[in-house]
This record gives sequence, structure tokens and C-alpha cells, in this order.
Amino acid sequence: MPSGLSAPHAATTRLRRAHGPLLLALAWKNVRLRYKSSLLGFAWTLLNPLIFLLIFLFIFRHAFPQVPNYPVFALSGLIFWAFFATVSGHILGALVENAGVLKSLAVPPLAFPLAQLFAGLFNLLLSFVPFAFIMAFFGWRPALVHLLVLPVTALLATFLFGIGLGLCALNVYFRDIGLLWGALLPAFFYLTPIAYPPDLVPARLQWIAALNPLYHFIGLVRTVLVDGVVPGSSEWITAVWIAALALVIGLFLHHALRRGYIANY
Amino acid sequence: MIDVRGLSVDYLVQRHGFRSIKEYIVSLGSKRLLERKRILTGVDLEIRAGECFGIVGRNGSGKSTLLRVLAGIVEPASGSVQVHGTVAPMLALGVGLEPELTGLENARLCASLMGHDRAATQRTLENVRSFSGLAEIDLGMAVKRYSTGMTARLGFAIATANDPDVLLIDEVLAVGDAGFQRKCYERIAELKKRGSTVVLVSHSLGEVQRICDRAACMEQGTVVAVGHPHEVGLRYHELLGIPPAA
Repeated sequence: MPSGLSAPHAATTRLRRAHGPLLLALAWKNVRLRYKSSLLGFAWTLLNPLIFLLIFLFIFRHAFPQVPNYPVFALSGLIFWAFFATVSGHILGALVENAGVLKSLAVPPLAFPLAQLFAGLFNLLLSFVPFAFIMAFFGWRPALVHLLVLPVTALLATFLFGIGLGLCALNVYFRDIGLLWGALLPAFFYLTPIAYPPDLVPARLQWIAALNPLYHFIGLVRTVLVDGVVPGSSEWITAVWIAALALVIGLFLHHALRRGYIANY
Repeated sequence: MIDVRGLSVDYLVQRHGFRSIKEYIVSLGSKRLLERKRILTGVDLEIRAGECFGIVGRNGSGKSTLLRVLAGIVEPASGSVQVHGTVAPMLALGVGLEPELTGLENARLCASLMGHDRAATQRTLENVRSFSGLAEIDLGMAVKRYSTGMTARLGFAIATANDPDVLLIDEVLAVGDAGFQRKCYERIAELKKRGSTVVLVSHSLGEVQRICDRAACMEQGTVVAVGHPHEVGLRYHELLGIPPAA
């Protein structure tokens, strides 16, 4: 902030406002609005991965005999993929969709993408309960080690927020970032080992597969949920690095571009 | 009290109105992406506490941008801005209202957007009930079913609920019916009596002359006249090329 905006103004309208309640109110609004006009409501969070699961089971049932429990394998990947795909879209549009508010009230712009992330996380955590039952139906048994899915989720969410925020900032200037992302997502879906086991990729091409950041997060999910073991330190460190890098890039783009937001919403 | 000294504001705008990356890439090398556009230049303005201050000016003269700076939405490029007390901006009709939510849910949400705490949010809800003139059944209805006038009532009730020290109004009183407008003017008078400052941007010179104590006329991003609304009105008419009313 330039030195021009002197203390009294800052003291009254900026510093005194607590951002916690604002974020909470916005996130809750997002959760409510998401399903307000749809009949099935929250069920859609479940239905999206389940529809994909049915398709996968139909097509790939016998394709991957090396995977011991294919339904659990596929579903564990699909849950987190759906989270990533859906919420990245929501974060991407968060600033542009709230242009009216941002032009008229002194709300920190960052609150809107952040509220979308929180709303998405809320939905995901809530969906863990029914998904646990569905996976149990396919022979999966809960264990203490599965709680590690929470730090994995936190890492994925950090990565997601970084990517989403960067796209969101660019989207203020170029509306086709949204369209581009919509076109790229299916490509990522097939590049990431969600429907197929990662060792399907030939060994000499594995390094290319590993360039896909999602490869590592889905890998962590599977290590925890499917293999039921504690991921090795190198797996954790890779994910932490990717998440941190994405967050830094996202925040950098946001801060570099925010001064021009107001004229381009 | 509001004190603005040597205020300048720049907007970063796309130089060639790029809306897509394709356009940008095609033009890469020959065109710069963003251009700094000066919106306000050297604005000096002092608005006293308890005053109703009108701002007139032609379209694009910088009135709304000035209000945005006072509201803390736009940061100055240079100069200083001091606004003492709590600020309630009403810069557009129905801002922050979610069509799918009810009137009361929206009041709660807007209170959060304005940074109110729990107690202030409660006062907002009470004020919406007592002031908006909307029946309880309307307040429980989704805002998407509201008429423009009802939306204006809700918005005004939310904005003025917590007796702000500074109320910024940008051209939003025009939409309500006559009864609502009178109520708004009464509320403005009441806030003034409490010592609140009201800054009113309006294209209606009559409105400014009727309710404002002083006024300013803006042109090309700067203040060209400050004073009694009637004197400022003469200057405004001069700019518009309209001979002063007989």
C-alpha cells in the first residue's frame, strides 16, 4: 500500500475488520448456494465420482488384473480428482464473479478465492463419511493410518489454491483462461493415473508422468488409502515442495496483478 | 471528516482492450499489455463532519472513482486521504446481494462483507426489519423475486444500519418510489444530526441543491469548483453547455 493512504483511514476501515467471520460467511454462502437450486443437493459431491466409478468398472473391470481391488483403487483417485477439478474451477472464477462486490465494498479480494477453497474442503471432508461406507462395501477396511489422508488433503488443497489463485488473477485480465482451463482439465485427467495404475506407463517414460504435479498427490492418496501404509519421506517432501511452489506462484501472481483488478473485473 | 490532498489515482487498463490471450499473443512485441490511465489528478477536498456533501460532474469525470478511494476500495497513486470513522459505501444498487438467498440471509451476508461484528450484524438485521419497509414475508423470500425498488430498500437499510460516520452514496436513490426516497432523505437528515458525514454523487442537480450543504463539481479527474450547491450548479451547467435556469 502506498504511503498516501494515511493512518486514520487504515485504522478505521481496514485493521479493525476481522477477516475470520468474513471468510466463514462467504464459505458458508458458497456451500449453500452450490446446491440451493438442485434437487439432490449435497449428493452431487458423491454422484460425480460415483458416476465415473460406474463407467470405470464397466470398461476397465478386467483391464488391470495387477490391481488387487480395482473399485477402491479407482474411487480413491476419483474422489480427489473431482475435488481438484471442481474447486479449481470455482476458485478460478471467484474474482470475476464477485466483481460487483469488489468494486463497491472494501473487501480484500483474496477472501473470495479462499472462501471457495474452504467451501470445497468442507464438501470434501463431509463426503469422506459416505465414501468410507462405499469403499467398505468394496472390501476396504478403515484403519488408523487412513487418517493420514487429512495431511495429504491439506497438501493437495494448498497446491490447488496456488494454481487456482494464479489462474483466477490472470482470468481477471483474460477471460479465456477459464475456457482454457476447462479444456486442459480432461487432459490432466488422462495424464494422471486415476483410472489406470501408474506402472502402466513404461519405465523410460515414468519421468514424464512424474512431471505432472497431480501424479504425486494421487500417489500419496493411494499409498495411504489403498496400500494402507505410511508414505515415505521422499513422497511427503515432493508433495510439500510442489504445494509450496504452487502457493508461492499463485500469491505472486495475485500480488503482481491486484493493483489492476479494479479496472478489469 | 474527510481530508483529501493532492490525490491522484491510476487504473491499469488493457491497452488495446484485450479480452483474450490470442489477441495478446498475436500482437506480442508490438503492443504493451497494460497501460496506466490517470483517472484522478491532484484532487484536494475537505469535507466536514456532519455535512452533506454533493458531487456533480459529467460522465467519466471521476466521481465514482473518488468515492471508491474514500471507501478504501481503490488505493491512491499519490497524495493523502484521511477518512475518520466508520465508512458505509453505497456505490451500486444491491451490491453483495445473492439472488438465491432471502432478504435476511443477505442482510447477514452483507454485514459480514462490510466487516461488522456479531453485535453490529444484529443491529443490521433489526434495522432491515424496521427501516426497509419490507414485510417479514418479503424478507424471507429469495431476493431474486424482489422488484428493483424492494432491492433498493433492502440495500439502503443494510448500508445505513449501523449509523456510519461516513455514508457514501453513488446515484442509488433514484430507483425507489417517492415514499422510499423521502424515507431515505429523512434517514440522511437523521444521520447528519448524529454528526455523520454524507457524500452524495448525483446527476440530479436538483437533489444536490435540495439536500446538500456544500457541493463540488468534477471534470476530467479533478475538482473544478467547490462551494454552495447553487454556485457549483452554475459551473456544472457551464460545463454541460446548458444556460443557467431562468
